[in-house]
Amino acid sequence: MRQLLRAVIFGILGYLIGAALTWLIRGGSMGDEVCVVFGYILGLIGWLFGIGMGDTWVREWFGLPAREYEVTGWKRYLGFSTDHKVIGVQYLATFIVVLLLGGVAAMIIRFELAQAGEGILNADRYNQVMSMHGILMVAVAVAAILGSFGNYLVPIMIGADDMAFPRLNAVTFWLIPPVAIGLLAAPTLGSFDAGWTAYPPLSVVNNGGQILFVLAVTTFGLSSILGGLNVITTIVTMRAPGMTWGRLPIFVWGAFSASLISLLTTQFFAASLILIAMDRVAGTVFFNGGAGGDPLLYQHLFWFYSHPAVYVMVLPGFGAVLETITHMSRKPLFAYKAVVVSFLSIAGLSVIVWAHHMFTSGMAEYLHGPFMFASEMISVPTGMVFLSAVATLWRGKLWMKTPLFFAMIWIFQFLMGGVTGIFLADVVTDVSLHDSYFVVAHFHYTIMGGMLFAFLTGIFFWFPKITGRMINDRLGIIFALWLTIAFQLTFLPQFWLGTNGMNRRIADYPEQLEGANLMSSISAFILGSSFILFVYILLSGAIRGPKAGGNPWNASTLEWQVSSPPPEHNFSGQPTVVGHPYGYGTAGSRHAEFADVTVAAAPPEQPGTDQGGDHE
Amino acid sequence: MDQQRRNDWILFGSFWAVFSVVGFYLVLGIDLLPAQWAHEAEVVDDAYILLMGLSIPIFAGVAAALLTSLIRFRVKVEGQPTEDGPPVHNNRNFVRLWIASTLMLALMITVNPGFIGIAELRGEPSADIVVEVQAQRWSWKVNYENGAETFNQLYLPADRRVRFDITSLDLVHSFWIPGFRVKIDAVPGRVTHLYVTPEGVGSFEDDFNLRVQCAEICGLGHAQMAMPVTVLEPADFDAWVSDLAEGA
Repeated sequence: MRQLLRAVIFGILGYLIGAALTWLIRGGSMGDEVCVVFGYILGLIGWLFGIGMGDTWVREWFGLPAREYEVTGWKRYLGFSTDHKVIGVQYLATFIVVLLLGGVAAMIIRFELAQAGEGILNADRYNQVMSMHGILMVAVAVAAILGSFGNYLVPIMIGADDMAFPRLNAVTFWLIPPVAIGLLAAPTLGSFDAGWTAYPPLSVVNNGGQILFVLAVTTFGLSSILGGLNVITTIVTMRAPGMTWGRLPIFVWGAFSASLISLLTTQFFAASLILIAMDRVAGTVFFNGGAGGDPLLYQHLFWFYSHPAVYVMVLPGFGAVLETITHMSRKPLFAYKAVVVSFLSIAGLSVIVWAHHMFTSGMAEYLHGPFMFASEMISVPTGMVFLSAVATLWRGKLWMKTPLFFAMIWIFQFLMGGVTGIFLADVVTDVSLHDSYFVVAHFHYTIMGGMLFAFLTGIFFWFPKITGRMINDRLGIIFALWLTIAFQLTFLPQFWLGTNGMNRRIADYPEQLEGANLMSSISAFILGSSFILFVYILLSGAIRGPKAGGNPWNASTLEWQVSSPPPEHNFSGQPTVVGHPYGYGTAGSRHAEFADVTVAAAPPEQPGTDQGGDHE
Repeated sequence: MDQQRRNDWILFGSFWAVFSVVGFYLVLGIDLLPAQWAHEAEVVDDAYILLMGLSIPIFAGVAAALLTSLIRFRVKVEGQPTEDGPPVHNNRNFVRLWIASTLMLALMITVNPGFIGIAELRGEPSADIVVEVQAQRWSWKVNYENGAETFNQLYLPADRRVRFDITSLDLVHSFWIPGFRVKIDAVPGRVTHLYVTPEGVGSFEDDFNLRVQCAEICGLGHAQMAMPVTVLEPADFDAWVSDLAEGA
């Protein structure tokens, strides 16, 4: 708590010093954008210094011993903890809150769009709420699964005691609050209204809130890059003896391939945003078409990251869903190796498809064909993931608990997103559908369907591991059905709206489109209200749920062989991996051995016994 | 193959057939697409329907597999699971077949409606008339070849190939005519081109999709940045445009 308070004070001081110095040097007013930029930079440094970097790295740079704080209980979650499990929970809680905030923005949007004409928002306010919804949800999609489950589970799944760089990991998380503050503070400077894509010249000439968007999102990118670096290093260097690449649980592969993308491409987004900041405050003309710059340059740089970012969102989701499916249907993951190859091919292909977002941008027409071809090719590895999911279910012993419900619904949702994506990858249909509500519906099926449903799958599958308690399964299934049905009724009409002449990002539309919009809005409120039940399920489960034991699903991978929640350094002895992670159906198959007691992968002969925590 | 496994496949097959039929009925039987006002709209809609037709059986297949699994393979678990599924790790031939068919399908749609559709949509780079369009927050200015100029009104001749030369004075806008199914961005510092052959005579009053709508967010007036399109008989258009030029 003390660290948090110190961080806030240092952050504010840093901001004031930066802004005041800039003001002293150049005059003008303290509220000028350039003062905000330098204030934000010093404020960010002050924040990081206050939260814990000052006690660790900075002290060591000057030859002093790092200062450790003995913090226990729930207060750990409010400070600079280097424990990967604490950081995982910090991510989880933070992004559930951000998700709900973004959801409130979505409700406001749908309220405005329920009827044609101006409702509760004027057009300016609408654009701001829509932009806020966009960037908050993109942040959730990029970081929620990788940040929470990636941190919490990857080290345990590979038999390590923590991440490779625990301090860096803490910094990665503590970069997030300044992002949230920056975005939520934007209304003080007039907010930002250029959507989450922030295309110039609009993002160069609009209100001052855009500069906070640029700074916050660049910080978020830094966090992504550092997180990706940490996950990759952890997986490469910290695997337990015997944990060969062919024995990694599939979620670890999902986190690995997603991290490769965020490590290697996020820079392009950051670069494009910094160029916007330069155009705004330093008088450059990178994107000013009238002065020799080119707005299309931004779009290329932006999508070079932002298309792969879609796979940063869904690859860990693929991992979480496949992981759940194989354990809950008690069958080995179908075609494990082909799935791994698919993940890596998706990561590879993802960087050569970006311009399919630009078929109507005015870029050279000879580029259309190659980018269309590359985009269609992504359906091959993605199709392999679908095959694996469905074939693993086929003839399994399906234990229809909440996580498996969500995993199966995920298949449906992401398939819908994937199939409609073909219409947008195809140049001919895209020329009509681009920037219409068809796109809005499509990416809600892919991102919300593909990432959020995977996130929910993961939350319900690993909830007992993280909290040590079970949720109310009946409520969980009710939530799954409620959410899914409302989802279809919200977004199916939007496909129709898109083909029938409704473009995206508009506060008002022709009144002929009112019926479908009203239906979409009412369903959206039903969808939104389901999250009240979601929060109730989580809270009641965490507080009053029955004790879970170490291995409530009787699953084979390493995280289930320790107590729930796992002990501080995960394992009391060094685990040794001796076999395939998913040895279901093979008598005597083992994934790992511990120092003295051998843990069977999933011995069906001992129903009801608690496998966890007792391997000492 | 034992009886039980045969029943699994029979159930799957039945679901697949039913879903596909229902899907085809819903998508192709109901008129999902708005009226076509240009030759290009036919090309785009044909591609749309072809892709729909290909998607439905794929979609129905996966949905059928999910439903079959839910019905046939769910087990009641007391306490903790007591039995495992069969230890099937792979089926190489099936995987090869799957990859080969998804690859074939992807290549197929890349060719048609992909490359073939692009060629059809673009056609020859020649036009009967050229119309210049200039976008500026939040309105459109239109210049015709004879010097005639309109503001937030677009008149076009039916059955003549029109080339639009589009640019913007300030931000990125997008020139979209939903009734024609085509769009191209208006980019400051560039001139972008769009070829369209309007078909049928009509106006915004007949169909609200006969409008130019800005499709790239451009601030306050973005939603209202639209102009009605009127398609006239060629002779009427010629008369209209020369009247306008003389009047100006």
